[in-house]
Amino acid sequence: MSSNEEILKTVEQLIGEIAGEELLLAHPIEMTTSFNADLELESIEFVALAEKLQQRYGERIDFVGWISNKSLDDIIALTVGDLVRFIESCRS
Amino acid sequence: MPIVGANGLGFHVTELGAGPAVVMAHGLLIGTLASWYFTAAPALARAHRVRLYDLRGHGLSDKPKTGYDLATMSADLGALTADLDRFDLVGHSWGALVALRFAIDHPERVGRLAIVEAPLPPSRFADEQKLFASTPDEMIDALPPALRDAVAGGRRQAGKLLASLKFLAYESSLLADLRATGDFLDEDLAKIRAKTLLLYGSRSSCRGAGDRLATRIPGAELQILDGGHYLHLDAKDAISEALEAHLA
Repeated sequence: MSSNEEILKTVEQLIGEIAGEELLLAHPIEMTTSFNADLELESIEFVALAEKLQQRYGERIDFVGWISNKSLDDIIALTVGDLVRFIESCRS
Repeated sequence: MPIVGANGLGFHVTELGAGPAVVMAHGLLIGTLASWYFTAAPALARAHRVRLYDLRGHGLSDKPKTGYDLATMSADLGALTADLDRFDLVGHSWGALVALRFAIDHPERVGRLAIVEAPLPPSRFADEQKLFASTPDEMIDALPPALRDAVAGGRRQAGKLLASLKFLAYESSLLADLRATGDFLDEDLAKIRAKTLLLYGSRSSCRGAGDRLATRIPGAELQILDGGHYLHLDAKDAISEALEAHLA
């Protein structure tokens, strides 16, 4: 499994833990899936996802530094792929 | 999620960055720690240890039916900062009133204070909140535009938000607690020793409260930013810069 696929699986599993498995049944998680428009995650659920990813991958994942330069519109438009590629870039 | 026990409840607490401690409290109803997490907190986290928490009844914290008065919520803040000797304190709306109450009662614990859009008198918050409207559609109409648009496009988010609002407005003591909250006394405001920044929106109905606080809190600086009551959403960059400068 490539690194991106492994991260994608992890993100999918954590979204299920936070928002409920039924959300995954309704919305298969793909790289193009949008957190807001497709999954309709609440902002606090997105924070919970960031916390769990930090726990999983450690301090190298500077999630807050990553979003600090983004506008609210950019944050609202984030996709699963954006997040996966960001985590991958922190690990390499 | 990091859940911390305080005052018999579990509170969702998260920390960003490293440096001198800053604690940030969000506003009621539609607020959660995400209000700061996606706006001013990342900028402050470049030079501070920023602690965010979900107020009782909000976000991922426990949802008790009682205790939404300033004394209890200030005690929550005290319990969640018991490990910090002294810290800077930022609050929005009702969270700013909690911060004011805490700064008056515990002057030795608060270094600098930033009050964003605190409504005065506190009880007026309940009367002006259209979010306590009778129908879900009216509740959605009363949301700030950015959130209203997000909710309009998403049934799941709308459903979850409305369930939370209904609990707070109709099943908890929140509304009664807000209405029963007395105004701050001028002599109490005069006791505040923390260097205080007051941030209000140019289009906010709370502006008058900023003028009053500016004349009552010794040395307080009032800044008017372009925006309404939800200043962290309307003026994310301006509020971040103002807070960074005040807490530098």
